[in-house]
Amino acid sequence: MHRSVVKIMALDPTVILNYWPLLVDGAVLTLRLAAIAFVGGMLIGAICATLSLLNYWPVRMVILVYLALMRGIPFIVIVFLIHFGLPSFGIRTQALVTGTVALTLYAGAYYAEIIRAAVLALPRGQWESARVIGMPPIAAARHVIIPQIISPSVPPIVNCTMTMIKESSILSAITVAELTYQGLVIQGNTFAPFEVFISLALIYWAITIAFSLLAWAYERRFGTASGRTSRMSPIAARYLDIDGKSGR
Amino acid sequence: MKTGPALRATRLIRRFGELKAIDELYLEIPYGQVVSLVGPSGCGKSTLLRCLTHLDPPDEGFIEVGGESLGRALLPNGIVKHNSRRHTDRVRRKIGLVFQSLNLWPHLSVMDNICTAQCIALGRSRDAARAHALELLDRLRIGAIADAYPGQISGGQQQRVAIARAMAMNPEILLFDEPTSALDPELVGEVLRLLKELASSGMTMLVVTHELAFARDVADRLLFMDRGIILADGAPQDVITQTADRRVRDFFDKVTAFHPKFMAGTKPKEEHS
Repeated sequence: MHRSVVKIMALDPTVILNYWPLLVDGAVLTLRLAAIAFVGGMLIGAICATLSLLNYWPVRMVILVYLALMRGIPFIVIVFLIHFGLPSFGIRTQALVTGTVALTLYAGAYYAEIIRAAVLALPRGQWESARVIGMPPIAAARHVIIPQIISPSVPPIVNCTMTMIKESSILSAITVAELTYQGLVIQGNTFAPFEVFISLALIYWAITIAFSLLAWAYERRFGTASGRTSRMSPIAARYLDIDGKSGR
Repeated sequence: MKTGPALRATRLIRRFGELKAIDELYLEIPYGQVVSLVGPSGCGKSTLLRCLTHLDPPDEGFIEVGGESLGRALLPNGIVKHNSRRHTDRVRRKIGLVFQSLNLWPHLSVMDNICTAQCIALGRSRDAARAHALELLDRLRIGAIADAYPGQISGGQQQRVAIARAMAMNPEILLFDEPTSALDPELVGEVLRLLKELASSGMTMLVVTHELAFARDVADRLLFMDRGIILADGAPQDVITQTADRRVRDFFDKVTAFHPKFMAGTKPKEEHS
């Protein structure tokens, strides 16, 4: 019994020592995929949210169908559909391209809902007061709406992005050479699955933790809602004192 | 002194399904006049303000602000012209609306609340906008809170900021949507005094209110509205004491029943003169 425990725990460091460059390559590709999907997804999300808020029903229906598909189908099925579906329409691309597109569309659907919900959560009067004073719609969005939706959407966006980073491992199924794929390659060469997957777990964990720390730093810097951080500042404290006195 | 009406609404109609919230309404407000608009809840007061500012464009009818048409225009040859969104935005700046819920922008300081629209919509320089804002804040006696955020100041101060924000655009007319309804009794007095000051400074105002004391003491003219129609229009004393319309009589009789003191202050016109 004692022996078998020792045997299970005995990890072979040479597996990682010999193959770490593959893991680095894989991690770099995973980061790049995540970065592209994050930026592209935010763009898609912002555009879809704006279009669906315009309340023009044909556009809204198209977006609704897109959101329903992306959020209602398992990611691995989406990936296969795009990867094997496109060639039947005569479009042949590399797995890396289809994988990136799938991940971006997937993340974009979730970001769209987050952004739309954040805008709808704002009192309607915020938009109306900007418009009624004569601000054009774009200026109203830029100066009144957008600054107010950033902070509340940070936590759900972090959540989604962490999920998206983890889901990118599924792209290994269509031979995109990201982290999980490289892990599977090493495992195939060494027959040492435990060493490989412990390494993968640690690297994924490090990536997602680093990302959530970034978001945490952002939230600390800019506050969850306006006023809350300024209220803690010494200048603001001074103004809190005058409350009631300057009413005169 | 500007001539012509500050605001003119001609045959305004706003439908919600079958219901006509505004029913063929005509309204003309000359410069310098303070008009109060009273009426039971749901009579279309707020809808009227939203129509006049094109937050909720009327289905029919025409609105003119300072001689310029807002939204739809009736050309001399009888053709109805639909103005562009850009034109509407520009004419909108001539109307200041102070919302019931104020709708200050919580992420901007008091100064930025007042300056942002000036810079964007009027193209004023940052310094000019600031100078103008400071002047207004001083006039409203809240110069000390220019750098505070809306969440840090009292309700009365917030109300002043909202008024300053609307006035910063140099509107032809200020519209108030129930400026006192969400305030405690002490603040009601403060806000009413402020409105009185604005009125005496020659500002043209249309005030939707349930404060009949304001309608009686400050306003030059009282409108009574019900079911989208203006039932009574005249000098406040006359409307309160002498209107023949039964619906209007009922309303003011009820007020009298609840506030005997209020009517004590309302002398019939004969005694007044």
